[in-house]
Amino acid sequence: MKQTLMGNDAIAWGLIHANVDMVSGYPGTPSSEILSGVQKIKKMLSLPVYAEWGANEKVGFEVAYAGAIAGKRACATMKQVGLNVASDALMSAAYIGNLGSMLLVSADDPGFYSSQTEQDSRVFAKFARIPVLDPSTPQDAYDFTKLGVELSEKFKIPVMLRPVMRVCHAREIIEMDDTTEFKPNEGKFVRDVPRWGAVPRDGRFAQGLDQLERVEVIAKYNWDHFLKPQFDGCKGGELLIITSGTGYGFTQETLKDLGLEADVVKIIMPYPLPVKEIQACFDAYDKVLIVEEPYPCIEEQIAHPKVYGKNTDTVHKIDEMKKEEILKAFQKIGFYKGENIYEAPKIDLGFSVPARPPALCPGCPHRDVYYAIMKVFKRKKSIYPSDIGCYTLGIAQGAIDSLLCMGASVAMASGYSIADPSKDVVATIGDGTFFHSGIPPLLNAIYQGHRFVLVILDNSTIAMTGRQVTPSRVHQPIDIKKIVEGMGVECMEHHYSHHMHENVDFFKKVKEKYDQSTSGPTVVVVREFCILDAERASDFVPNIYVKVDEDLCVACDQCTTVYKCPPMSYNDKGKIEIDPFLCAGCAGCLEIVCPTDAFVVDENYLKKGK
Amino acid sequence: MKYQVVIAGFGGQGVVFLVKVLAICAGNRDIAFLGTENHGMSQRGGAVSCDIKIGDFTNPVIDKNQADVIIGLDSNESLRNIAFLKTGGTMVVNAKADYPSLPFAVARVDANAKALQGAFPIQGLNVYMLGVALASVKDFPFSIEEVKNAIMQMNPKVAQQNIKILQMAMNDCK
Ligand SMILES: Cc1ncc(C[n+]2csc(CCOP(=O)(O)OP(=O)(O)O)c2C)c(N)n1
Ligand code: SF4
Ligand code: SF4
Repeated sequence: MKQTLMGNDAIAWGLIHANVDMVSGYPGTPSSEILSGVQKIKKMLSLPVYAEWGANEKVGFEVAYAGAIAGKRACATMKQVGLNVASDALMSAAYIGNLGSMLLVSADDPGFYSSQTEQDSRVFAKFARIPVLDPSTPQDAYDFTKLGVELSEKFKIPVMLRPVMRVCHAREIIEMDDTTEFKPNEGKFVRDVPRWGAVPRDGRFAQGLDQLERVEVIAKYNWDHFLKPQFDGCKGGELLIITSGTGYGFTQETLKDLGLEADVVKIIMPYPLPVKEIQACFDAYDKVLIVEEPYPCIEEQIAHPKVYGKNTDTVHKIDEMKKEEILKAFQKIGFYKGENIYEAPKIDLGFSVPARPPALCPGCPHRDVYYAIMKVFKRKKSIYPSDIGCYTLGIAQGAIDSLLCMGASVAMASGYSIADPSKDVVATIGDGTFFHSGIPPLLNAIYQGHRFVLVILDNSTIAMTGRQVTPSRVHQPIDIKKIVEGMGVECMEHHYSHHMHENVDFFKKVKEKYDQSTSGPTVVVVREFCILDAERASDFVPNIYVKVDEDLCVACDQCTTVYKCPPMSYNDKGKIEIDPFLCAGCAGCLEIVCPTDAFVVDENYLKKGK
Repeated sequence: MKYQVVIAGFGGQGVVFLVKVLAICAGNRDIAFLGTENHGMSQRGGAVSCDIKIGDFTNPVIDKNQADVIIGLDSNESLRNIAFLKTGGTMVVNAKADYPSLPFAVARVDANAKALQGAFPIQGLNVYMLGVALASVKDFPFSIEEVKNAIMQMNPKVAQQNIKILQMAMNDCK
């Protein structure tokens, strides 16, 4: 059956068609639509599938992995930095293995489109000594998902599927199974303490020996099934190109565009590689070029004097794949001598196109909360550690001084408060991130008596990654305030208001409490909403649209430099204007934001056709 | 066939809807299709562009100097992506009359002004601009009938409104 699918939907269908009935994970771009895709299919076909978000990636992985131990076909999904969080579990699972099937999907993001790092999950698979499959297209993603599930059950070890963003978020017409005959494995835990409970040193040592042997066996399988058939069809000559993942598609197109021919081998399983067998094929060529992203994972395994790639400065080392980069690599090794056909002619517009930097949505409550915090805790006397989420975009307002990784704001607030006690440390963290990894560092701060302000921005959703539900909203709702109180400290609560003075007044109270405190954190939860949250937003947005009274606007820049709502920009007359198509009707800018009160209610606002 | 289209706008303008429409058009004619989205961290209001490759391709990204058409739902976003348009390509753009002159064929309409006058709700801007592309790009790979069918297939409930807007754009460009 032909279907136009996004890569992540293709993976979701692959899981269902491979009879996977336990899917757990944590949202993260570009992986999030895999689990939500499974949820949709489950609903559509009424399938008996467990498909739920875990509290974080480690939890998600462990839920699925236990299923795989008990004979189920299971899958955990996450983005590449999520694998850092799950890595402790993965490293041991790679020794212990599974009876059913354990597919780990870790989606990479070459080019840093929505990630803090450009790390390569294939290298992680190599580190953990588990096989990894690298799809080139959504079709591959579907096929390799099914393949990965089979291989995991065959070799009794977790298998990684590593799609990159250009696979996850690519759309293609793919060929998939006509029907869904869903036949999941029966779950049956078989007691085997020496295996599931292997204790150091002897138990794990023995599993380590098995692991080494298994890697050899899988490398041989890789050769027999995936590589030998391709090498058998190769002609030999000037250049052999070895690629994997998206590198394959980019290489094929570049060759076609330039009218060149070379043998191209697509590595389906970049680890473990049958190194000797591959290197033996180099005799038939002058040079071997490796095209892969983002790290030189294959290149380092099959290093050889004939091999060119990132480590020889032939292929670019950072940023995502482009045909232009492959063309340049061809030029460097003397395989292509023509011009750069991917160079755009220079066009002088006579002006530079204004940047559109990432910004919080028009009407997002995070903006107002940051604004209020900064009105009370002044920049000069404060340090603002923050965290990962939509609220990270508050950096444009000057409301954030440092970012590290999910959950770090709290422990870093501890650290700053110790290192520079002359400053007020005011940390911000989203509710999703608090649940994910903000609780242990808060516990730490409380029992160590670290003095700072922690503001938990509770919009009851994981907004940045597409509005997945947080533990405060499903099954047995969990309240952040009670968690904080359970640790023995008060949790000040405020409901976001579109009357800015109410937000400012609240933070004045927070400052009073903080000023009076001598030890321990002052914890605050601000109840917000996400303007894109169809279920909740309409209960909160006042639908009061705003325009500018041009007589009052003195072009002071306050709104465009400190408050920064996207609809606000200067018009031809040098006055601020509000783009009626962008304004969300939140009324947040009516108070305090403009020193001359130039923002006024637009009674005639053209109602959006809802 | 080989045809490459970049659709440029900002979050909330419905860029991805157009990708889905064109994918269905390709599917109905059994032509291969690859597409991808480029966007930053913003959910609303950030720059968004989509690459659409129809025909014999093996990767979804459009390189510089390759696109046959850019459909710009916003003037600045169209210019931000100008390097992708190939020599001889067409720029279809929603922009005011002060849009700069370019060394390409340009089909410009001020669709914002039309929406403000109430000709169609602003949510229909994406479909309106697709109509402009259908009317003004001679070698556009799909016919109006094919696009209408695709819109029907996507969601029959709201299709009539979109088809009306599409037709309006075609008439406006006559
Ligand atoms: C370890 C890790 N997992 C997942 C992500 C992807 N991610 C980015 S922001 C975010 C959570 C945002 O949720 P929340 O803290 O509630 O803030 P909001 O976006 O709702 O403002 C996630 C999961 C990540 N960056 N790092
Ligand atoms: S998606 Fe929601 S939380 Fe994120 S910036 Fe927009 S309104 Fe704010
Ligand atoms: S009312 Fe003001 S703050 Fe709210 S979205 Fe409109 S311009 Fe932005």
